[in-house]
Amino acid sequence: MKSKLIIAIAAMGITVLFSSCQKVPQAEIDAATASIQEVKDAGADLYVPEAYQALVDSMKSANEKVEVAKAKWFPSYTKAKATLAYVSQAAVDTKAKSEARKVELKAETTTMIGEVKALVEENKALIAKAPRGKEGREALEAIKSDLAVAETTVTEVEGLLANGDLLGSNSKIKAAKEKATSIKAELEAAIAAKGGKK
Amino acid sequence: MALNRKKIKWIVVILSSVIFLVITVCVIIVSQRDLPNDDLRKAREALSEAKEAEADVYSDTKYKQATQIYELGMKNWSRENDRFILVRDYTGVISSARKAKKIAEESKEESIAKADDLSKNVDAAFVSMEKKIELYNKLFKNLPIPKSVFDAHNKSKMFFSESKIAQGNGKLKDAEILFKKAEIYANHANTAAAKMLRDFFNDFGRWKNLANDAIAASRGGNKVILVDKVAHILYVYQSGKSIRSYDVEFGANWMARKEVAGDKATPEGNYHITSKKDGGSTAYHKAMMLDYPNGEDRVHFAQMKRQGLISRRAGIGNLIEIHGNGGRGFDWTTGCVGMRDRDIDDLFRVVGSGTRVTIVGSIEPLSTVTGGVDF
Repeated sequence: MKSKLIIAIAAMGITVLFSSCQKVPQAEIDAATASIQEVKDAGADLYVPEAYQALVDSMKSANEKVEVAKAKWFPSYTKAKATLAYVSQAAVDTKAKSEARKVELKAETTTMIGEVKALVEENKALIAKAPRGKEGREALEAIKSDLAVAETTVTEVEGLLANGDLLGSNSKIKAAKEKATSIKAELEAAIAAKGGKK
Repeated sequence: MALNRKKIKWIVVILSSVIFLVITVCVIIVSQRDLPNDDLRKAREALSEAKEAEADVYSDTKYKQATQIYELGMKNWSRENDRFILVRDYTGVISSARKAKKIAEESKEESIAKADDLSKNVDAAFVSMEKKIELYNKLFKNLPIPKSVFDAHNKSKMFFSESKIAQGNGKLKDAEILFKKAEIYANHANTAAAKMLRDFFNDFGRWKNLANDAIAASRGGNKVILVDKVAHILYVYQSGKSIRSYDVEFGANWMARKEVAGDKATPEGNYHITSKKDGGSTAYHKAMMLDYPNGEDRVHFAQMKRQGLISRRAGIGNLIEIHGNGGRGFDWTTGCVGMRDRDIDDLFRVVGSGTRVTIVGSIEPLSTVTGGVDF
């Protein structure tokens, strides 16, 4: 009777021992890894690099937690699972941020294209009013050359935007806007100076 | 039976003691073993800091190396964890983690130093680029340069602007890449334009003789017109001195030597005013017709034709005038010398038919024209 009791207690002990050994949360790891890849495919590493990097770091931390648990006699993956769940949720947020940044960049570039086009037209009208003469000739030729650059860039930017190069098109149109704005200021100053001489 | 019970009891006690002893030894072994989690966490944090310092951009080799070692460490940790608990060995994992941390830290330092150097280089490069653009604006922008050269200059300016924007955004590597593109275009534009200017001044000896002859011809009291194409100035000389000067404009291709009709080049050489026109006889307010082509132009034209350098059907051109309607601020004529109406009114009063008109590329040498600027 006593030996039966000992056997029963030993069996219970073994059952408790094995039930406390959890399995590696592979499904959660795979889901988090896939969500990070999805975020990268959405261009988050380009459009929201800091958020993307934080996500990658969190995933590494989750992997470390998995191994910390695995190294124990009786592994418990609760902490690792919590971090993996955070990664999956953060991936959704990062993807949304990336998409929002893309929309923002596209809108900003589109607006600036319109602004540069308008500036080019304004500058053309100002060139007609600008003072000429020997010095004026030199200045006007330089201005026309600069304006041609800004105009060409607009076409180039439209092409880049159509091809989905949001960052490239944005920086190019910023340069073009800066140029067109400086041309306008130069022309207005020349016209004002001419007016002052009269 | 009693013996058996006693025996069993002893066996249980001994077995329990052995199991307890084994478990105790195992627990001691395992607890004494160094785990790699702290080292790997530190390596990960070092990598993260390196990335923040843009080590993946400025110290990419070391950063990649550190990342690979960290990943290898993680892989080995997982592999060791898959082994039986008592035979796990984390020494290699810990070593990898420490190595990854060390290299990540080095890569961060290298990145900061390189970014700093790059920042200085980009600043210096921007100064050099500004000088190139300034040189172009000073020496070449008013020359009738080919479209390809003009386009190269414009592209260089655009890439330069983009480079400055990238620098402003702290993207130094991008700024450097864009700057290099700008530099390639600027060098192309400046080299081509400089060659054009130097080639043009190959005729300076001839121009100097022509100008000296013209000035000498004015010494007897005769008025002589001397036109300097580079300076865009028409001088009236009398008794060896300049008594008048006016700003003038030419054809779009003014640097070229006139060779055929319609080439928009302004001829160089000695000519004379053959007639003066005003009122309804000219569309240009007032005009003075020159005797282009002269004998030398005809010889040159025939030679070019013989050598097949110009079309057989090409004509030599004529009707080169000094006329009004100018002051437009650019070179717009078809090869004539354009003046402001008020200037040609004045010139009309000063010179008459038969006046010698000498047109030269420049009366000043290249070094003077460029103001001693090295290009």
